Amino acid sequence: MKRTTFIAGAIAATAALTLTACGSDSSKSGTGSASSSGAGSTATIASKLIMGGPPEFKTRPDGLPGLQKNYGVTFGKYTVTDTGGPVTVSSLKNGQIDAADLFTTDPAIKSNGFVILEDPKSNFAAQNILPIINKSKATDGVKKILNGISAKLTTSGLSDLLTKVQVDKQDADAVAKQWLSDNGLATTGSDASGVKLTIGSANFPENVILAQIYAEALKAQGASIKTTLNIGSREKYYQGLKEGSLDLFAEYTGTILQFIDKTAKATSPDDVYAALQKALPPNLIALDKSSAQDSDAIVVTKATADKYSLKTIADLAKTG
Amino acid sequence: MTVLASSSSSSPLQFWGYFMDHRSEDLGWLWDHTWLSVLPVVIGLLIALPLGWLARRYRWVYPPMMSITGLLYTIPSIALFVLIPPIFGLGALDPKQVPIALTIYSVALLVRVVADGLASVSDETIQAATAIGYKPVGRLFRVELPIAVPVITAGLRVALVANVSIVAVAGTIGMSNLGQLFTQGFQQSTPDAYYPPIVLGIVLCVLLALVLDLSVQALNRLLTPWRRAVRT
Repeated sequence: MKRTTFIAGAIAATAALTLTACGSDSSKSGTGSASSSGAGSTATIASKLIMGGPPEFKTRPDGLPGLQKNYGVTFGKYTVTDTGGPVTVSSLKNGQIDAADLFTTDPAIKSNGFVILEDPKSNFAAQNILPIINKSKATDGVKKILNGISAKLTTSGLSDLLTKVQVDKQDADAVAKQWLSDNGLATTGSDASGVKLTIGSANFPENVILAQIYAEALKAQGASIKTTLNIGSREKYYQGLKEGSLDLFAEYTGTILQFIDKTAKATSPDDVYAALQKALPPNLIALDKSSAQDSDAIVVTKATADKYSLKTIADLAKTG
Repeated sequence: MTVLASSSSSSPLQFWGYFMDHRSEDLGWLWDHTWLSVLPVVIGLLIALPLGWLARRYRWVYPPMMSITGLLYTIPSIALFVLIPPIFGLGALDPKQVPIALTIYSVALLVRVVADGLASVSDETIQAATAIGYKPVGRLFRVELPIAVPVITAGLRVALVANVSIVAVAGTIGMSNLGQLFTQGFQQSTPDAYYPPIVLGIVLCVLLALVLDLSVQALNRLLTPWRRAVRT
């Protein structure tokens, strides 16, 4: 999911690493099949539409190949925009593309009245947000605080927090504090006293907010907190977690599982969570997952959804 | 820490208000940015002096040494941040990787400058110094290097200002410096542009570069009193 954001954001930062990572992808990139099968006497809705998203969506297992395999959906054309960012949103808005790959917490979906097409066959793996923590720092008190946060986090709640930072330009730490007090989690105490934690975050606003929520809640309970925010690549910060220079990170179940185990097949929230617990190295543990998900989604405008009466991704394969 | 003023306006001119709202954070980044820019040049100069002297003393060393150091400068900074931790046995997020990378660049720039600076000392001067009794080592430190100071400080100015801009790149791997302001501004610019942190980052970087540049010029004047004596 957001992994690709880091690659785009710090493309050269990970040049050496991503080159090797992409090498395996590009070798089997057969994108030609995408556009050829849609035409014919019974044209599908998808064949009349232009899909937009990040470059690797063409070849990613849950990208165009997955949509073809799971739903028989083949778009008329695929246009590379960006990774769920401003280019994709504006292209969808002004009609340069008809369908887009966006992230479910993106405030732009609500503000533009876009429609998320349901994914009943779980083409996109679950992306529940959860804390990944160094085992030696996961005292009962720390676990209680972090699991308490996960219990209250929801997808729409997270989307609201993102709106405050991206649209209203508020500071992430202030937004985090406000959320904690709104959810009755801002209690001061000594549950985490004596614990020293370094909390990291990736370089997109949502992950920074999550790191700040963890930081403010643990601080209020007596922990001594250091933060290293805006780390531009998962290669860097995952290494930091493994080495112990970072102790705590907000992760996404599906993405981190794919990152550790390229062959992982699980897609449902519980399966992905179980697989992740097995895949993590011995010094890292996954605490409770929240119901909040930030996953890829196929999004269309309200007009397109009405015109073809689209509700799920499967509807795109109907003839119309 | 504060939220009120920063939420009001996205105008580029609001950078001062943004600064006042985030003062302690911004000043921390400015301080880190400053020492990250200066320390590598100091270490780089200490390494470049013997290398430059070598390239001057043995002429055949000059071409290969200039090629190698020139090549070092072409390594993209961001690639160095990936390569340095394993090579130097550092953790992936160890802050030391930034000064190490910048020291490599500073050496790359300064070796040529030191060699050319020493080459700018005329043969007549060297012969005269030898004639009045200077041994090679004494001659180097008391005659050749002082005469080379203007050329070397010119190189130092370039290295320092280049470092100010390269340090910001380390912000992309989460390192504490003014580069964080650019990340911040970029992140908050998704639905509509948010300039204050970006403009503040540019303003502080330019001010820092100016101050460092002026300091080196002052140092140059201090070390070459005879140049003033000639002019006035």
